Amino acid sequence: MTKSLVTASKLCVERGNRRVLDNISFTINKGDIFALLGGNGAGKSTTLLTFLGFVKPSSGEAIINGIKVEEDIQAARGQIAYLPESANLYAHLSAYENIEYFLSLAQISRSSQEISLSLDDVKLAPKMRIEPLSSYSKGMRQKVAIALAMLRRSPLLLLDEPTSGLDPVAIDEFNTILKALADAGTTIFMVTHDVYGACEIAKRVGLLQQGKMASVFEAVGETKISAEAVHQAFRQSQPS
Amino acid sequence: MLHELRRELNHALKEPALRWLVLIAFSLSTIALLIGALTISHQKDMVLRLEAAVTAERLLTIKDKTDPGDIAYNLFHLTFDPPTDLAFMALGQRNERPWLHRLRMLALEGQIHETNDSNPEILILGQLDFTFFLSVLVPLIIISLLFDIEGRERREGRYELICAASPLGSRVFHIRAAVKSLLLTAAIILPFIAAAISNNLTILAFLSVLGLIFFQIVLWVIFCRIVTCIIPEAVTAALSLVTLWLLLTVLTPIIGKTAVENSLPVPNGGTILLTQRETVNAAWDLPKETTMDAFIHIYPEWKAQATINRPFEWKWYYAFQEMGDQAAQPKSWALYQGMTDRHEAMALVALLSPALFIERAMTELAGTDVLQHLRYVRCARAFHADLRHFYYPYLFNEKAMSENDLAQLPEFEPCAI
Amino acid sequence: MNFRIAYIIARDEWRYWLRSRLSVAALVAASILIVAALISTITQVQTERTTRENFQAEAINTFESQPARHPHRMIHYGHYVFRTPAPLSVIDLGVDAAAGTVMFLEGHRQNSAVFTPNYSSANAGQLAELSPAFAYQVLTPLLLIILGFASISRERESATETLLYSISVAPLELWMGKIIALSGAALMSLLPLSLGLGLAISAGEHAGVAAYMLSGYALYLLTWVFIITAVSSSCQASSTALTLLLAGWIFFCIVISPVASGIASTGGAYEGKVVSDIAVQQALRGSGDGHNEADPAFDQFKMQLLQQYNVESIESLPINIRGMISKNAEEKQTQILNRFSDRRMEAARTQSRIVYWFGLLSPALALKNFSMNVAGTSLSEYQRFQHQAENVRFDFVQRLNNLHAEQLSYSDDINRSKDHQSEQRTRISPVHWKMLQPVAHHEDNEQERVSESLPHFIMLFFWCVFGAIWSVTRATRGAANAA
Repeated sequence: MTKSLVTASKLCVERGNRRVLDNISFTINKGDIFALLGGNGAGKSTTLLTFLGFVKPSSGEAIINGIKVEEDIQAARGQIAYLPESANLYAHLSAYENIEYFLSLAQISRSSQEISLSLDDVKLAPKMRIEPLSSYSKGMRQKVAIALAMLRRSPLLLLDEPTSGLDPVAIDEFNTILKALADAGTTIFMVTHDVYGACEIAKRVGLLQQGKMASVFEAVGETKISAEAVHQAFRQSQPS
Repeated sequence: MLHELRRELNHALKEPALRWLVLIAFSLSTIALLIGALTISHQKDMVLRLEAAVTAERLLTIKDKTDPGDIAYNLFHLTFDPPTDLAFMALGQRNERPWLHRLRMLALEGQIHETNDSNPEILILGQLDFTFFLSVLVPLIIISLLFDIEGRERREGRYELICAASPLGSRVFHIRAAVKSLLLTAAIILPFIAAAISNNLTILAFLSVLGLIFFQIVLWVIFCRIVTCIIPEAVTAALSLVTLWLLLTVLTPIIGKTAVENSLPVPNGGTILLTQRETVNAAWDLPKETTMDAFIHIYPEWKAQATINRPFEWKWYYAFQEMGDQAAQPKSWALYQGMTDRHEAMALVALLSPALFIERAMTELAGTDVLQHLRYVRCARAFHADLRHFYYPYLFNEKAMSENDLAQLPEFEPCAI
Repeated sequence: MNFRIAYIIARDEWRYWLRSRLSVAALVAASILIVAALISTITQVQTERTTRENFQAEAINTFESQPARHPHRMIHYGHYVFRTPAPLSVIDLGVDAAAGTVMFLEGHRQNSAVFTPNYSSANAGQLAELSPAFAYQVLTPLLLIILGFASISRERESATETLLYSISVAPLELWMGKIIALSGAALMSLLPLSLGLGLAISAGEHAGVAAYMLSGYALYLLTWVFIITAVSSSCQASSTALTLLLAGWIFFCIVISPVASGIASTGGAYEGKVVSDIAVQQALRGSGDGHNEADPAFDQFKMQLLQQYNVESIESLPINIRGMISKNAEEKQTQILNRFSDRRMEAARTQSRIVYWFGLLSPALALKNFSMNVAGTSLSEYQRFQHQAENVRFDFVQRLNNLHAEQLSYSDDINRSKDHQSEQRTRISPVHWKMLQPVAHHEDNEQERVSESLPHFIMLFFWCVFGAIWSVTRATRGAANAA
């Protein structure tokens, strides 16, 4: 039986007089990939930040693994590995050093072998691993970030536009890694513009429109979500 | 071109940072001129009051007195170095070195080194006159104005857009820099023009200062343009420019000063004072003929009257005062020579430091540098000599002084530059 | 707050500096400058001390080796006192460059201290001062700015700030980490200062005073650490942070001092010695000429003496009336002279009090005032020197007057210009010339120095508290902006 790991229940967020999120509800089951799509300013990032506790909902609840974010931000964050948009880790540090640094801050200890293994998983060339990140391509940096997220072994991976600015090959590689992670049991909640990529890997795709959840698509069994249908709905959701 | 300038001017005026910087430059320029003007008017006022006080004192001192020795002993004369019309722009070292002395006919070496005992805590804090503003602060304002012209456009991703949009290409940023610098120049110069008019500066002085202002601004604008062209990243460019400023304004002068002072030692003041006291005081115990022989060697005209018969005679007293001076003087002159040499040697350092160059040029124009101090000292010494030569006939002929005679007393005339 | 996390962040900040050419260059340059400043000041102070102490010894020696003569001649022969540098002037030269180094002491007059080191020095502009105090007050903040302007804004620009918060790093832990990192640099920069202080202790300074001075400098640098992190966490872009911090540095370290001096000195309260000398001359008129026993100003005093010794004429007094009159005149004159010099000194202190309040506008000025006062290179210490010199003067003049009154017979004294024998008898033996008091040492007034510097220390403390509060508020508020 699959249990839901992430629950948004009637989430509302207000900025000034404007409702940025309006009564959003959804659940993500363990080991699923949930992709939130939507136009610019639809409220995707706000939803993500609400789960991280950076944004306080005016009403409704964000729940991760049974923990209400509002009640215990630190415990909720403990459940999350977060990858900000175009994750810039420290340019002066190498892949190893970045990972070691963030892990020590998160007070997680991993052997250097485990770090190497996770860098193997994301297919980062071994000779690059000791170079500072300033010499990396964007795709390579994203790999380090995902390796870091994997090493945290958090039940939930939160991704903000993870593929923006990556070339098609890098996007493919990245999606493969995500898929493998989900198969291994990690729940993935991502916000993205990439309709086709999302449909390729996600179990469910939510479409946000001006703070409201316009529609939700779900892959049934082995059948993937139809990108065409999502695209169609996306276009209709945009105010002309 | 005019169109380009106008557009950039409108663009620049919309930037809050520029408006702030121009306002800061304008206020600092005004404050510096005001502080300078206040200080100088305070000094002028002091000279006037002192002249009045010394004149009043003189009447009381010479009242009923006819003995020239007694009069010369008690009568003080005010000597001073009046501030020039330009002094308010460069206060220089007027406060560091005495510019007024009350002198009487006793040994000069005991009087000429006296000070006005200024508050040293105020002196070491420096003074915010126009020269400090121009030499030290203006470069910093220029740096903050110009370090981020291209850097900001690059950071915010507009650089290529602007270069592509303008027919001038990347040269449009030179125009932007020029417009900003012109606005800054106006903010610096406007208060100066107002001050120049209200102080009746001569055209020559006005143009000289204007030239120095332009020199400093153009120099730093060029530095900024070169550095920002070599280093596109704004933060590194800014830090490099500040380092350059530190190097040229603080470190070069310090190193130069240390080198100059070590290679050109000057006699210690203590030697001058000790020598002078020994020579003047020793004379009390010397046979009076020794003193008088030395004296008539210089003043043969008083040979006939140079015999001293009583235990105390004024002419002998003043003769040994002057002989004491004669012995200590070479040390003073060596000190003055050393100060001049140091000043001249620093000219080389000034070639490497625009701030020092401006400071020296301004204080020279304003007559507030060490050379002017030494001019004043020479002038005061000449006046003291006049005084002695005036009194000697009365002293040696032992002639009582009438009111008429006293009216002939030499008056101190300040030396012009 | 978890200090272990803060420490990890601080360690990474240090690693960042070591990998940034700019920071390494700044660190190296600053270390060289501070050490060079220390070495050059130590040598300079040593040379000055030796020179002035030698002159002082020579002055005492010449006075004491004078031949037998009339004591009043010794009053006019006079004596010199040299102002020797305080042990802590190896850290802060303070007013030394602008204060007279030598004062001629004689009867009936108070001379000014003359020959300031600046008088004959080569002019290199107002900022050309290479002392450890200058290095710490002006240059070290610049180093801290270069190291720290981007400490928090950099994390924001690269979005690592949100990443850190998402892994449960608290904003205060991030802030504390940066504070530890920058304070580490500040602490390291204080090493040469501690060395200099150690040297001063070995030269006779009290260890407590040296520690107090060190704590003042530490407080000042900590204030900058707070200000820098506050600005860095308020700004979205590092370049904005740098611009603001440099503007603050220019204002605090370059502009405020001359503005304070300009305002304090154009207040017009302090006139200087020439003006005061004329007033003294007016006040002295009629107070009697001590060389002239017939001056009617002394009639009353003579009557008193005759009554006291119960004699009819001054010739029958057991003491020499000339010496007594000279002593009496000196005392009266000195009272008048002191009245004017006290007034002058008070006016100078008023100016310095105005400067004190300007410390509210700049921690650099507050530190400068603190440092001078605790080092014993301030106006107060200079005035103490002037007072001591005056005490030395009055003391030896009155001792000579006593000798005049007690050792010389009146008849010899009045006949000495006519009679050679009498003249010889008015010359008293040189054994009496060993009478000069020394000028007290700077180390002996540590209580005054500490109490005089305390208001400045409190002001520094307030700056530091203000910086800390500002910094914490910005850091926690900045975290809200980050999202």
